[in-house]
Amino acid sequence: PPLRPTPSPFPPLHVYLLLKVVDHYENPRNVGSLDKNKKDVGTGLVGAPACGDVMKLQIQVDGNGKIVDAKFKTFGCGSAIASSSLATEWVKGKSIDEALQIKNTDIAKELSLPPVKLHCSMLAEDAIKAALSDYRLKQEDKKKSANTSS
Amino acid sequence: MFHVSCLRVSSSLRAARCLVPNRHAAPKAVTCSRHCMSTCLHGKGTGQRDANFGGLVYRTDGSVLSRSCSTSRAKLNCWNCQQLLHRTPSFFCDSCKAVQPPEDGTSYFKIMDCDYTFTLDTQKLQTRYLQLQRTLHPDNFTQKSVKEQEYSESQSALVSKAYKTLLKPLSRGLYMLELEGMHLKEGTDSVAESHFLMELMEINEALDEAQTPEQVSKIGQDTKGKLADLTEQIDAALHQGELGTAKELLTQMKYYANIEEKCCFEDDKLEERASHPNIIEQDTQFASGQKIYTVLFKVIYISWNILC
Repeated sequence: PPLRPTPSPFPPLHVYLLLKVVDHYENPRNVGSLDKNKKDVGTGLVGAPACGDVMKLQIQVDGNGKIVDAKFKTFGCGSAIASSSLATEWVKGKSIDEALQIKNTDIAKELSLPPVKLHCSMLAEDAIKAALSDYRLKQEDKKKSANTSS
Repeated sequence: MFHVSCLRVSSSLRAARCLVPNRHAAPKAVTCSRHCMSTCLHGKGTGQRDANFGGLVYRTDGSVLSRSCSTSRAKLNCWNCQQLLHRTPSFFCDSCKAVQPPEDGTSYFKIMDCDYTFTLDTQKLQTRYLQLQRTLHPDNFTQKSVKEQEYSESQSALVSKAYKTLLKPLSRGLYMLELEGMHLKEGTDSVAESHFLMELMEINEALDEAQTPEQVSKIGQDTKGKLADLTEQIDAALHQGELGTAKELLTQMKYYANIEEKCCFEDDKLEERASHPNIIEQDTQFASGQKIYTVLFKVIYISWNILC
């Protein structure tokens, strides 16, 4: 007679997948703020109109163009918080060009986001890009003022 | 009121949606008065198979092909006694009193018998809702046929949905935009000014750091004020048919509505904390235990999967 599969005493796989998101939600890494007036800090501020989430992501870049610190503050659903938390983890230690390569699909895959929450990973990618472009603008301003003064 | 042209376009779109074949349309017979049909068929006289009038294209076998443009909906018949249903929307047949299935494409405003405007009398809405549910609720149909029970379920659910959508200004405004074919963008807001987002951030942060219920209610009051202000602006924009402006304002409203919701939540949480100071200790007491439990759980789960 065919063996009946023994019922597993543990919850099904999708609960384990949720644990990653729950982990980021309950123990978010890199929550906080950097001084946005500093010249080496880039601030990205994005909002999602459909769900009303707001996300702020800040990066601190050293002289070699490497991101040494990142902080975020997100007000929204657990997936948005997890996406931005993961984003700050990933950008740390990367160069600016490497950070530009981070795609929302990578974030969504890492967190196993369901289709309805994919826009949260999109928001995180846009926040990274906004922070990087803000930093670049600041660097260009710095160069301009250096040129005019010299 | 909306511009009449907007209304006409949207009503024809809705009417077109009405005739898309689906489960609900199947039991109904879509007919036109026999007089019209016969004059058209005789008028053509060339043996054409299709009769075309009022923008409707009917085959002689009675099935409907398409609807190009119409300002009134097709007349529907009761599934039970085949009598014409006069009202839009018809919940019950006038002759045999049987409950009717909901018509697709009927706007929530029609269902709740409200004017198609942003300003709404919520008292009137509530009265209408209770009045409808008193007759439509499935509890009244437990002794009736399965078909009638199904129809009453869908009607009751639809009325509930219509009520919930029209009750709050935000959902009402968004629904009105949806009827005109506009949706809030799914993606990120690049159009929103950065200082608006910064303001939102500051309010959110202040709410996060609030220690006393008074601080929370102050933020709640400010937000309510902003929402009331936005409601007025949206009403004005919709009156003048400025859908783009209304959409931007409704987006802003969405953010503030989220904050307002959080204020109520935080308020309750802080009040609970204030009345039970022991709860704060409990939170930290169990936090470390929960962390260890989560790690242990993961280890056991992975090893179980490896072993089996």
